[in-house]
Amino acid sequence: MSDLRFDGRVAIITGAGNGLGRAHALLLASRGCKVVVNDLGGAATGGGKSSAAADKVVEEIKAAGGEAVANYDSVEDGDKIVQTALDTWKRIDIVVNNAGILRDTSFKKLTPEDWDLIYRVHVLGAFKVTKAAWDHMLEAGYGRVVFTASAAGIYGNFGQANYAMAKLGLVGFSNTLAIEGKKKNVRVNTIAPIAGSRLTETVLPKEITDALKPEYVSPLVAWLAHEDCEETGGLFEVGGGLFTKLRWERTEGKTFKLGRAMTPDQVKNAWGQITDFSKVTHPTDITSSMQPILGNLNTKALGGNEFIDVDAALGYEFPPQKSSYDQRDLELYALGVGAGANPLDEGELQYLNEMSDKFVALPTFGVVPALKLVFDMAKKGETAPGMNYGFDRILHGEQLTEVRRPLPPQATLTHKAKIKEIWDKGKGAVVVTAISSEDEDGNELVYNELTTFVRGAGGWGGERGPSADVNVAPDRKPDAVVTEKIRDDQALLYRLSGDINPLHVDPNFAKAFGFDKPILHGLCTFGFAARHVIKSFCNNDPRLFKSVKVRFSESVFPGETLVTEMWKDGDQRIVFRCKVKERDKVVISNAAIELYKEIPKAPEKKKPAAAATAKAGAGRPADAPPSSAEAFAVIRDHIEQHGDLAGQIGKTFLFKLTGPDSAWTIDLKNGKGGVTEGGDKADCTLEMSDQDFCDMVAGKADAQKLYFGGKLKISGDVMASQKLMFLKKIDQARAIDVVMKLRGASGGAAPAAGAAPAADGEPTAAEAFAVIRDYLEQNKGMPSQIGKTYLFRLSGPDSAWTIDLKNGDGAVTEGGTTADCILDMSDQDFREMVAGKADAQKLYFAGKLKIGGDLMASQKLMFLKKIDPKRAIEVVSKLRGASAPAAAAAPAKAAAPAAKKDPVAGSFFKALGERIAKTPGLVSEVGAVVAFKVTGPDGAWTVDLKAGKGGVKEGASAADLTLALADDVLSAISKGEALRDLYQRGQVRVDGDPRIAHKLTFLKGLLG
Amino acid sequence: MGRRVNVIGVGMTKFQKPGASDEYNVMAVKAAKAALEDAKVSYPEVEQAFVGYVFGDSTCGQRAVYELGLTGIPVFNVNNNCSTGSTALMLARQAVAGGMAECVLALGFEKMEKGALGSKYTDRTNPLEWQAGLMSKVQGFNQAPPAAQMFGGAGREYRWKYGTKRETFAKVSAKARKHAANNPYALFNDVLSVEEIMASPEVFDPLTRYQCCPPTCGAAAAILCSDEFAKKHGITKPVYIAAQAMTTDYESSFKEDSMIKMVGYDMAKACAKKVYDEASLGPEDVDVVELHDCFTANEILTYEALGLCPEGGAEKFIEDGDNTYGGKFVTNPSGGLLSKGHPLGATGLAQCTELVWQLRGNSDKRQVDGAKVALQHNLGLGGACVITMYRAD
Repeated sequence: MSDLRFDGRVAIITGAGNGLGRAHALLLASRGCKVVVNDLGGAATGGGKSSAAADKVVEEIKAAGGEAVANYDSVEDGDKIVQTALDTWKRIDIVVNNAGILRDTSFKKLTPEDWDLIYRVHVLGAFKVTKAAWDHMLEAGYGRVVFTASAAGIYGNFGQANYAMAKLGLVGFSNTLAIEGKKKNVRVNTIAPIAGSRLTETVLPKEITDALKPEYVSPLVAWLAHEDCEETGGLFEVGGGLFTKLRWERTEGKTFKLGRAMTPDQVKNAWGQITDFSKVTHPTDITSSMQPILGNLNTKALGGNEFIDVDAALGYEFPPQKSSYDQRDLELYALGVGAGANPLDEGELQYLNEMSDKFVALPTFGVVPALKLVFDMAKKGETAPGMNYGFDRILHGEQLTEVRRPLPPQATLTHKAKIKEIWDKGKGAVVVTAISSEDEDGNELVYNELTTFVRGAGGWGGERGPSADVNVAPDRKPDAVVTEKIRDDQALLYRLSGDINPLHVDPNFAKAFGFDKPILHGLCTFGFAARHVIKSFCNNDPRLFKSVKVRFSESVFPGETLVTEMWKDGDQRIVFRCKVKERDKVVISNAAIELYKEIPKAPEKKKPAAAATAKAGAGRPADAPPSSAEAFAVIRDHIEQHGDLAGQIGKTFLFKLTGPDSAWTIDLKNGKGGVTEGGDKADCTLEMSDQDFCDMVAGKADAQKLYFGGKLKISGDVMASQKLMFLKKIDQARAIDVVMKLRGASGGAAPAAGAAPAADGEPTAAEAFAVIRDYLEQNKGMPSQIGKTYLFRLSGPDSAWTIDLKNGDGAVTEGGTTADCILDMSDQDFREMVAGKADAQKLYFAGKLKIGGDLMASQKLMFLKKIDPKRAIEVVSKLRGASAPAAAAAPAKAAAPAAKKDPVAGSFFKALGERIAKTPGLVSEVGAVVAFKVTGPDGAWTVDLKAGKGGVKEGASAADLTLALADDVLSAISKGEALRDLYQRGQVRVDGDPRIAHKLTFLKGLLG
Repeated sequence: MGRRVNVIGVGMTKFQKPGASDEYNVMAVKAAKAALEDAKVSYPEVEQAFVGYVFGDSTCGQRAVYELGLTGIPVFNVNNNCSTGSTALMLARQAVAGGMAECVLALGFEKMEKGALGSKYTDRTNPLEWQAGLMSKVQGFNQAPPAAQMFGGAGREYRWKYGTKRETFAKVSAKARKHAANNPYALFNDVLSVEEIMASPEVFDPLTRYQCCPPTCGAAAAILCSDEFAKKHGITKPVYIAAQAMTTDYESSFKEDSMIKMVGYDMAKACAKKVYDEASLGPEDVDVVELHDCFTANEILTYEALGLCPEGGAEKFIEDGDNTYGGKFVTNPSGGLLSKGHPLGATGLAQCTELVWQLRGNSDKRQVDGAKVALQHNLGLGGACVITMYRAD
């Protein structure tokens, strides 16, 4: 390895007459550097002047064969020192700012002169020398500068206030020059040496200064001054054999969100975090120093004050907690909210007698585990971060409890709580805690929202949140009222369900809060009210209960009389409020209970109950799943048990099962309803395999999936099929009983009903297909034009027909299983369609025509409309042996005109005129003239919703919007079909500005 | 992002109506030769070929390029409905950008039949089943060509939403005809007035016949290469692809009961954003646009998807003449699909051809003055949207 050399380089070393400077000069010179040895020759404390020190070092260098020149100027005349270098060697490569003096004294005794002199020699001197050399270095594109700082500057040292100031000043000076010189290859570094020199003699004992030789420092200076050294902006402590680099370390600190007041208290509270060096960064420049600050500039505090820090609290999710309850807890709760006051009332006993098969949970129990969770957490001191208040500050303001299905008699729940909302209400804050309680399978069973008012936690300028008065009691007589006296010991009973706040039991405690005696729990009143609603509106079936939302407005005392007033608001919603009779005070307001339309079913378990059915029995193998016949028997039993089903549903259903084939009719329209085998026509027909049906009833297959998978075909009134959801409600235990009984006996099914074809004059489907066949024979080019095959699957009576318009000359054949396009419809609708009495598109939208496969191919069937009616009559006549009266059989519009409907346009526009007269606001709302061009029968109307009072007149005139539509479309609009949908389907043609039509919603239901 | 890719040669055949064109391989060879000649590259220098077409049995791509030479190079047959051509272009760009090839050919052709587009295979799941299902749910269906029902339905929805005049749709077609009158490669060179367009038979309200692109036969091709290749061949300042992206359907296509979304509005919008982001340019920087005007309704939707005008602002944009010479942008200087024609496999590359000519400044009467940045939008139902931005320095 070759030595680091400085041949051709010129260095200035200030204060090189002694100590460190001398050592640097000798080392550099020994390696080929030309050195300006600067020394004023003054005393260590400044003052005096002599050329001896510098001359001596120069002589030493020369004696060793090096090159050097002496300079005796003060560093305050730095330009002269640099001039010496330039005069002698015409260049300057290296500046080592080393000169320095001491004026140590305690700050108490420090004079301005002490301060100033130190500044001038160390800082101003380094400035002068470096400044004079700087331009030359930049120009040459090369330079090395070393400043000399001191540990006293970095760490401070008693008696060296002035010296420390100067030394650390040089560090900042050096750091900046490092940045400015970087591009021009001028490297600038600082050393903080410790060496025995004239300056340290006053600080350290002599033995130590002797051991700390300057020669232990100079190698670092030489390396920093070498051209191979890329280091710049560095700070190094060196001496006594140690070489080390310093850097800045910064704690991660605490970042406060901007936009809200920052207080000294917050700084104090965050002190641990601000000063925690376990997480640190090492900024190396202004940019990295600023980074976290700039990153914070875009943040905005959500708000808060000393009680609440919204940024920390909002959205906080508590660790999940578990709890269990059993029927005893349910019963204790029911007693707690006043159930069973009349122990002979069955509606009350259902909450209290677990031995009865009618035992059921009072749904408002759903709040109990959630509230217990809140209490338990509070007891353990587990609050959400940023919530710095105790129970003494909070009031339970509102409560929402929602059950996803009837509560089972026992359950282990996992509660997931979250701070959902925080609102600034001025004096206080409103905090909404949402708690979702899930069962063992992870399905949500109960959802609670506890809304609490926190005194003093508001006023930070945040949003007030929703303030609309919801569930306001209507201004009419209640639809139901329940009055009930609350027992004197009710609070003592209720608290056993978990709310053990002494306010409800300890008279002295209550007094301290300003109450004459312990008050009743708000949630106890809440339970009373829910019971009252269930009694009044659910036929005492709490399983229909969905949710309750209340606002607690006043305290209730045990022994008072509660009056619950209830108003029906739609079928599934009851608005209510509670008053205390004695004081005529509203205690619960803005309250409503929502009901389910049907009792929600528990999510399916892995093992369907029906599959586990039989344990014994002779009719079928014990372990066999229920057959379709058995399933229908179960349905029959269910209908018998629920006499009101037929009244509620009002439809008949035909199930056509295949493999083995069977048909079943479920009548939920006539009388009490019933299930019979056989049948060929119903409001809604469902076709599926026997296997899929059994799987569906056993809960193994999903009806919707079967439908979309093409395994379940629904025809007729498709919407009616939705009403079959009641099948899901069948009591599985009871179903098992029914199946077991059947298997004990031997079941015999009645043979299917025979076909009953209609034999009047109307053409049958078979005849219609014959007409189509004849048409194809007459038009042999069709298959090449159309290139598709069609399968018609007709029902009631069932038949299948294939029209091949793809191969050869085409063909019509009975039967078939697949084709490009499959059309499912009733035999009746098919015949009407062919006879021109029904329109394919309308049948499609009414759900009476299902098209499978290539949807687009069905449009090509439009050729059916082209069939010549005369020829059709001939074909049918021939088929009937020419005996039937031809005219009656014609599948043609002429011969069998559709039942004539009365046009609605007249009454429609009359009603519209009346509406406009009655509703003057319509003119300003619409502000346009709308023309209607009606067809079938044709007519024109102009509706002026622009000028004066507006009005309707017959006849066409200039309009801003023109709607062209058929009379029956007008009828559809008046029945509530959306204009937009009809337009999109092309049934209404719009000219002018269609946006005007957006405002015509009042046309809906115009004819009642 | 890979290497910069240049388009050094383009070429196309004159577009013809079905029955009047050459065989597909003849058209393809003509277009490819024109592109090679334009690039001054010989076929053996081509390292890979990406060949797009929709109708035809497998490996038509090989049959087409074999006439250029049997050099044993990889040939990729590309099929992506109406965006087939630009899909081939995208694959070609990827091959060069990724350093897998120095010089490649992107070629597209189509020999179409008379009549509206339909499904060729009826014995299997229709790829447009979801689109058709949504449409029949929203508006039913009738005997009009399915594509016209889809884009026409989107036009209906757009009119309802923004109160757009029927004439506005016709104006798009009149503009296309006007532009195509100057394009010798276009199928239609005769100008049509708004009235004539409005008076043509209605296909599906609000679309009349002259607002639907015609079935067309034709071919187009492009030669793409790396900077190194261009340099070696002494090609200075070639037109290059500044950004390119493809999107396929998002949930909104099928979940929002919107015909506008179903025909690819969100696809196009998202795709445009990717392209603008990649190029660090915005719509305001674009000079000339070739966009997928299969029906007038889609040109209107596409103005907005590409950000050429604000949503709902297309009518004003058209009335202000901002879609033609003298306005903010020139859209479809070639005449677009409406007038130049729409041979499915060729369209994406014909758009590329037009834009390269525009950026080179040799588009004769169609030249958009000083065009430096060009945008290409090519959309296929099913679906895919490819947007490409070209620049000339």
